[in-house]
Amino acid sequence: MLEGLHGKVESAELYELKSWGALVQFRAGELESAKSVEQAGRALRLIRDGRLGYSTTTDLKDPEPLIENALASAEFGDPAPFRFAAKATPPQVECFDPEVERLGVERLIAMGEEIVDRIKAYNPDLNLMVSLSRGVEELLLQTTEGQELQERGTGLALSVMAQRTEEGDILIIYDDAASRTLKGVDHLQLADSLIERLRWCERLARVETKAMPVLFTPRGALVLLLPLVVGLSGKSVLLGVSPLAGKLGEQAFDPRLTLTDDGTVPFAPRSSRFDDEGVPTSRKVLIDRGKVGQFLYDLKTAGLAKTASTGNGFKGSLLGGRDFKNPPEVAPTTWTVAGGEKTFKELIAGLKEGLIVDQVIGLGQGNIASGEFSNNVAVGFYVRDGEVLGRVKNTMIAGNVYELLKGRLIELGREVEWAHGLFRAPAILVDGVGVASQ
Amino acid sequence: MPAMLELEPKVRAAIAKSRADYTEVRLEREWRTRVLFQKDRLENIEASTEVGGLVRCLVGGGWGIAVFNSLDELGKKVEEAYRVAKAVSPKISERSSLAPLDPVEDEVHARLARDFREIPLVKKKELVEHYNQIMLSVPKVVSTTTRYTDSFKEWLFANSEGTFIFEERPDITLVLAATAREGDNIQQAFESIGEAQGFELVEGLEEKAKEVADRAVALLSAKPVEGGQYTVILDQDLAGVFIHEAFGHLCEADFTYKNERMRELLQPGREFGVKELNIIEDGFLPGRRGNYRYDDEGVPRRRIYLIKNGVLQGLMHSRETAAKLGAEPTGNARAISYRFEPIVRMRNTYIDRGTASFEEMLRGIDHGIYAKSAFGGQTEFEQFTFSAAYAYEIEHGELGEMLRDVVLTGNVFETLKNIDMIGDDLQIRGGAGGCGKGGQSPLPVTDGAPHIRIQNVTIGGRARC
Repeated sequence: MLEGLHGKVESAELYELKSWGALVQFRAGELESAKSVEQAGRALRLIRDGRLGYSTTTDLKDPEPLIENALASAEFGDPAPFRFAAKATPPQVECFDPEVERLGVERLIAMGEEIVDRIKAYNPDLNLMVSLSRGVEELLLQTTEGQELQERGTGLALSVMAQRTEEGDILIIYDDAASRTLKGVDHLQLADSLIERLRWCERLARVETKAMPVLFTPRGALVLLLPLVVGLSGKSVLLGVSPLAGKLGEQAFDPRLTLTDDGTVPFAPRSSRFDDEGVPTSRKVLIDRGKVGQFLYDLKTAGLAKTASTGNGFKGSLLGGRDFKNPPEVAPTTWTVAGGEKTFKELIAGLKEGLIVDQVIGLGQGNIASGEFSNNVAVGFYVRDGEVLGRVKNTMIAGNVYELLKGRLIELGREVEWAHGLFRAPAILVDGVGVASQ
Repeated sequence: MPAMLELEPKVRAAIAKSRADYTEVRLEREWRTRVLFQKDRLENIEASTEVGGLVRCLVGGGWGIAVFNSLDELGKKVEEAYRVAKAVSPKISERSSLAPLDPVEDEVHARLARDFREIPLVKKKELVEHYNQIMLSVPKVVSTTTRYTDSFKEWLFANSEGTFIFEERPDITLVLAATAREGDNIQQAFESIGEAQGFELVEGLEEKAKEVADRAVALLSAKPVEGGQYTVILDQDLAGVFIHEAFGHLCEADFTYKNERMRELLQPGREFGVKELNIIEDGFLPGRRGNYRYDDEGVPRRRIYLIKNGVLQGLMHSRETAAKLGAEPTGNARAISYRFEPIVRMRNTYIDRGTASFEEMLRGIDHGIYAKSAFGGQTEFEQFTFSAAYAYEIEHGELGEMLRDVVLTGNVFETLKNIDMIGDDLQIRGGAGGCGKGGQSPLPVTDGAPHIRIQNVTIGGRARC
């Protein structure tokens, strides 16, 4: 297809994504449905007379409408500040597990039943939703600059939601796990960790309205990390909306804070040899002992910022999976926050008074560009004199991530755990978070 | 003849051959264009197409689903859905079934005043650039996002009960967003509109663009709200989001039909609010975003009361939840696209008009908040949270200074009871975003309300440290 464009354009990039897989769903602890998916789509970017054009289609047979649409959009496009990817030697990244590819619907169903049985043994009255999916993605990417690659990756994902309903109190707890390899997902451990949190929820506790230390679990740490996803994007820097703009090399965070973005973590859900623009992935230190080390770039943003792509151009949502339809955008790969000294239990034991935050609602709403968060605590626990007294309700937390991670960091936990398929984070204990309770 | 209708014989033949107890085929063909400006750059301009379909089979009470892009082998896809349903049916004790529905044969064509498919891409680009420029020229505005999308879908639905429907589904949206900055103080403001209308919807919005930019700048000097309990007046936008998020989702029967405890909480006849409180889920207001004649199970849309005179009347249903709970399908089974099976969703949910004027609401508030427009909202059954785009203090019955960072939260059952005044100024509107549920986002919806006043709302804010 690129040959057909020869002479008509200066440069072009063809992206083709095929995927197939299965998904099973349980509702109210019962198997409900099985789904089989087979999808394919194409995206074409091209540069004509220096201008960028873009179009996508699901029609893999007739290339003409796609070319016509992309050419038409290039007529009015902005000057392209970059060239498409050239041939490059990629890192070796493990992304394919034949065991996942072979995983049948029956095995997914069996795993789901085992999760349900394990949690029901703890409390048969819980209402459980479980979904399990596995799939294979095959990416073909070609550019007129000589890049030509074919990637196959597998994916396995589980999610569990438990609901406990009583008059005047509805509790909902989630957990999920995702990996490109079967060994990366332990479905029974997922069930056990959910049960442990449910045990903490057996009692209720009251918390006063005031500022206090908050211990974010690795899952809850998303509250702090999400604003950084925005702030460390080269796009936000370029648009002038990142508080970190112009602070490269500056001590913007506590010296104990180190954060890396790594697209090569073996079998991680967001790992691959190349990003969705054919640029090799890599490991970058974004925050190095509190200093701003690096921003993330895709080709276009890098071109405008006069720097190089960091292999972070992905065709998907900020936190979600890839989709051929979307134009590439700056997106994180696996983020790892380095751990500290004390275990999670020791951190709790050392708390005179504080709140453990594990799950919130209203994530990302509000002014996250400036680092502000304000969330309802969906799953959180009140701690006094080192003891977890019970779950809190009708409670909000609020603060500013840039302030908390600079002057207000008390401690980082030792255990670094996967959360949301994207982060590997320790528990993070910060002081001076606004807590408002009804 | 629309391209999609040429597939009619193939669709009918594939369904006729199915061995399942029930089979449905849903196909979509979409044409869309998008224009996105960010700051001073045209970030994306595109014209794209997409075709895909979904087959759903019920076998022995278990669901099997097949999703695909290629429409070449519909028969095989029906067979695939049947095959995976067979893996489900031996494992279940509670069989799914469908409430009865008379077969429908219908063809629904969209009527657009200015059909956006006939507007050249360059005109769309020029309009978006124009609005973007208006915002960008306001001092202290450092960045903007101006996003235009249009989509025209041909939607075809057929099932083994003899239903065969073709419907054209247009959708057009515009987002105007501005970011203002002073040092580390970064503030955002936006407007977002979306309807099932033509290009006329997005024309003549110069003043709106200016307003957005001015608001972002005004927010730089707005006071951050202090957390605590307040009497709050919500404007129509925010009250609409509130009723969608906090109450609407609770009334989606898929949360209750296999959950006895939730059913007890949501018994029709239960009192939820003051006598003046009426909440309506309106099936079909033509021209409104996501308001189409049929849902994604081929059920004609209906207008139902969720709450009448403060009392719960009923829930929103799919055919499956209706069968289980002995109710009638309400036409609320929706999917965001061919990639997903239908689940129970809202379409057009609003609080009906009351009698209070805005001035009457202000009177008697010593220290309160007037919260306007929504940045977003989320709910987990009884707990909700949503953030106001901006707000004003109310002091001794009068509007005062502008406030920011206003996030409202609470328990929905208590909050509904605390609504003490309902305004006479109902507005229904569609935004450019949409609703998310069960991994399906964004689904176009509309919501609305008059101004409402609520006592004792928890506002999250930075505590004084």
